[in-house]
Formats: sequence, C-alpha cells, structure tokens
Amino acid sequence: MERDCIDDCVTLCRSCDLVVTKRALPSGVRALCPRCHTALYDTPYCSINGMLALCITALIFFTPANFLPILELHFLGSVRTATIAEGAIAVAHQGYWIVGISVMLTAVIAPGILILSILSQILIIKYRLHSPFFRDLLKRLLKYQDILSQLTMLEIYLISILVSVFNLSDFADIFLGMGTFCFSMLFIVTLFLQREYNLEHMWSMLDE
Amino acid sequence: MSNIDENAQGKEMGLTTCPSCNKLNEQKQTHCTRCDSPLMVRDTTSLQKSWALLITAAILLIPANIYPITMLTDRGRIRHDTIFTGITHLVQSDMFPIAIILFTASILVPLLKIVGLTIYLTAISFRLPISKKMLMVGFHIIEWIGRWSMLDLFVISITVALVNMGQLLDAKPAPAATAFALVILLTQMAAKVLDTRLLWDRLESKDDKNRSTKSR
Repeated sequence: MERDCIDDCVTLCRSCDLVVTKRALPSGVRALCPRCHTALYDTPYCSINGMLALCITALIFFTPANFLPILELHFLGSVRTATIAEGAIAVAHQGYWIVGISVMLTAVIAPGILILSILSQILIIKYRLHSPFFRDLLKRLLKYQDILSQLTMLEIYLISILVSVFNLSDFADIFLGMGTFCFSMLFIVTLFLQREYNLEHMWSMLDE
Repeated sequence: MSNIDENAQGKEMGLTTCPSCNKLNEQKQTHCTRCDSPLMVRDTTSLQKSWALLITAAILLIPANIYPITMLTDRGRIRHDTIFTGITHLVQSDMFPIAIILFTASILVPLLKIVGLTIYLTAISFRLPISKKMLMVGFHIIEWIGRWSMLDLFVISITVALVNMGQLLDAKPAPAATAFALVILLTQMAAKVLDTRLLWDRLESKDDKNRSTKSR
C-alpha cells in the first residue's frame, strides 16, 4: 500500500538520485531537480495527430533535402554542386572515412531513422496495436529514442551551410537551391516534432 | 508526502530509476518492470570508462590542433591550414562573425569540454570540495554544447565536395580531421557514459546544505 503511494507521488532525479515529490504542473512548465537542475518531467502535451502531420511533412521534405544539391558553386565557368551525402562520400574518398561516416550518420542517417521511428511509434499508439510484436517494437524504438535524437544534428548542419557560403564566396559565386530550401524546412519541421515529442509520455502509453 | 527528508537519496529508500526509461523501480529488481533494461543502483565502473575516454580525447586534441585540417590548392599553390590558422585567415579577410563561430565551435568548445570533464571527474574520484551545484551546471552546459564542434567537420565536407577543380582550386581534408572527429566522439561518450549520481553520493560541501531554504 505504502509502496504504491511512493510510486505515484515520488520520482528520482536521474542525475543525482534525489527523491523529489511530484506535483501537478500547469502546461508548458517543466519541473527541474531542486538540487542539480536536471529536467525531471513536464506536463505531457503531445497531440498524436499533430505529431503524425509533422512526421509526414518531415518525410516529404527528407527526400529532396537529401537528393537535391544543397549548394551550387560557379567558378570561372565551371559549376559544381553537392548534396549532403556527396560531401560525406567526398571526405571518405580521400581516406578520412571516420569523418565521412560521422557526417553521414549525424546529417542523413540519424535524422531519417528518427523520423521513421517516431512515425512508427505514433502509428502503433494511434491504432492501438496491442499484439506482442508491436509492443516489443515500441519498447525497442523508445529505448533508442534518446541516442537517436542526440545524433540528429540538422541544426548544426544548417549553420555549417551558412558558414560555408561565407567561406567560399571569397573565391567563387555560391547559389542556394531548392535543396537548401527543403533542408531548412526539414530542419524546422523536425525541430517542432522534437518539441512536441515527449519520451516520458510515450513510455506511459506502453503501460496502458 | 511531506515526511520525506529533503536530502533523501533514492538509494537509501530502496528505490532506483531505470537508466533507459526513467521508471521508478525497487532495488531488489534486476531488470526494469517497464522496458526490461538491466538496473543498476550506481554504475561505479562508469567512472573508469569516462576517465579512459577523456584521457584518450585529451591526447588526440594535440594532433587535432597541430596538424593541418584542410589542404587548399589555389592556382597551383598548396596551402595547409590548421584549425587555428584557418580562423586567422578568416579574421584577415574581415569575416569576424564567421571567425567567432568557428573559434567557439572548434577551439573553445573542445577545450572547455575536456577541462570541464577533467574537473568533474577529479571531483568525483578525489572527493574535491567543489560546489556540486556549480559542477552540475557545468556538466549540463558541456552535454549541450559539445555537439556544436561537429560544425567544422560539416563545413569541411561541404567544401571538399564543392571545391574540386584540380590545380586551379581544390580543397582536401588533412590528417587533423580524423583526430578532431575522434575528439568529439570520445568526449561526447565520456559525458554520456558517466553515472552522475556518483557525484552526489560522495561529496558533501556546505553550500548544498542550505538548498532546502532556497527551493521553498
């Protein structure tokens, strides 16, 4: 009896193991650990349908963002274009495959898997797929969610594009294309998706 | 629930959180009731792992900074740039904002991360009386800002893909790029692998005791 009560009204800070009494929060407010200021929990506000819409939009932008050139360079009559993957492959081709892999992983693979993973989580929850296979899948996806969102570095890549534009405009003419636009949109949509997404809330869906 | 002591640790109450899904579990369980991950009240080996990763990263920081990171061929003349000379070139060509961004992302952040983590780990290993609160604030900043070092590598990959016109104008990565990538990877892992709860078990300094009066 007492145990049940403790389970419901108490949480432990994952950074410092402090016992914190849970309180009801107004929406948009986050509870921080009073001792070490780690974010503990917030009011679950995740509209499943809203996230589904964001997910589909992100998927639509994902393909052009990765297959259209993000930058175009004109230098003495010759034109060069590059996509994100070409950048990674070009570096790997020079023998720096660690750099190539990390670029590929953080700018193409991780964002792609992140969007697909959130999409499948949403579909499982929305259509209440309760068979053991789907429950197991949801559990696995949720476990990798944290590392995936850490590996997703779209915002950093966007700033890198800007830095490269300034860097290269010294030598040559630089043009932004449709790919740059799609990439920026992909970044914005993913940003909102990650804001809306609440891991704790997703885990609680599994308990139901 | 007001009878819970303000400084109570979950360890003393027989409770522990799951490292992967944050669910509250009892210590007698070996696996989380929600996600089946193995439970550990404290991961004491994480301190060693974190030290090992950090020391490797600190060693790699040296080649990352003294060797050239890019090789630029401009009309037949080859120029090798280290991270630092690349930034001084930017300053000379009056691109201060870009220079500041690159300086922060590629020199300041890795250095601060390594220094910060060293202080943090020494504080745990040797029980230094440094304010735990300050250390934790620093740790959160390190965790958040560490990713931004990738900026330089992204810029290199874009530049290498675009600028390839043989003897006329050609950019290639140089040895420091791999070392730099490894520095980022290892420091991020060092921060990720560490069980920060160890800090709060070991240290006891004065400024953390008046916490309850502040939080009310």
